[in-house]
Amino acid sequence: MRTYTIRGAALLLALAAGAWTSAPAPHITPTVVLTKQADAIRNGIPDATQFFVKTVTVGEDDFRMLSEGGFRPDEEEVKFYYGKGGDGSVRGVVLFPQLNTAQHGPVEVGLALSPDGTIRSVVVTKATVETKPWVQAAVAHGLLDRFVGIRVDGNPQAVLDGESKDTMGEMPYYFAGLIARDVARGLAYYRTLYAE
Amino acid sequence: MNGLYSLRNADFSVRLGAVLFVLVLGYSYMFAFLMVREWAGLTPADVAATYVPAAESDRPEMSMSSTEALDLGSMEAEHHTVDTSLLIQDSHIHIMIYAIVAALQTLLILGLEWRPGWRNLVITAAFGFGALDFSGQWLMRFGIGGFAWLTIASGWGMSLVYLTVLVGTLRAAISGPRPAAS
Repeated sequence: MRTYTIRGAALLLALAAGAWTSAPAPHITPTVVLTKQADAIRNGIPDATQFFVKTVTVGEDDFRMLSEGGFRPDEEEVKFYYGKGGDGSVRGVVLFPQLNTAQHGPVEVGLALSPDGTIRSVVVTKATVETKPWVQAAVAHGLLDRFVGIRVDGNPQAVLDGESKDTMGEMPYYFAGLIARDVARGLAYYRTLYAE
Repeated sequence: MNGLYSLRNADFSVRLGAVLFVLVLGYSYMFAFLMVREWAGLTPADVAATYVPAAESDRPEMSMSSTEALDLGSMEAEHHTVDTSLLIQDSHIHIMIYAIVAALQTLLILGLEWRPGWRNLVITAAFGFGALDFSGQWLMRFGIGGFAWLTIASGWGMSLVYLTVLVGTLRAAISGPRPAAS
């Protein structure tokens, strides 16, 4: 009886372990900071000597407008970090739009804009342990440089024209698309919420 | 003999497996501690900040803004937070592994020849602290920040159970078979 009890327990344990290791488990891995926000601000507005943060609490009107444009804010507040030069003039603005994917977790970018709203630079500030190599592969393909010069009313998704999963790899191409959507979100926030 | 078998009198391979299990489990617990310290924090305030959702406020009719000077050098890193989706995923993975670890610890406990009352207490603690850990996290998720202590205490409780099983296993494995009664 005791032998059967031990064998039965061992069999149950083996079945449980097998089920656990073989079951497909979409799993959001921990967030990884690729670039600190402070560094993204400093590098995005290199000619600034003073920095400020403008915190905008999104009102109903703007929430509705952003949602209708496909950029429904997940957060109640959006922060715009801007820098001024020694003469007091605004030298640029940096914001950190983030996309949260159900299966792979968040992707956040640091979007730096010139005073006229033109994209000055884009860096990826946050990914996850799982998605980091895909993001890095997309970045190595020269993705981020392609956003430079796009106007505030431009279409960031156009940087992927001519690209496909065959040219970039399936997941890097997918994440390049997410990064482009992140940039588009940032531009929408700038147009709608930031007024100087 | 109290229990299912005697680890002390078991074959060397059984004792070897038991010792290696508790040592590697301890190795994994070190990283569990580092992960908790890194992502959630060790104080009730930090743990509550991780799990308690921000208070919802009514959205104003028009957007409002405020501006303040910023010192980049003192810009704080964002605190990691766990939303409901991530907590569901964490619960699914961790409670299952807690149960498997507790079951394996129970197999060891059954061979340590402890008194029944003590044996059953440790077995219950092995399963119970894991369940309480996530109960605390869910209570915080429901907005009851005061239960950060439950999650913290449960973590330390699991460590205590581990140390108890570790000491008992090492003693039984190393001391060797009990001499035959003369």
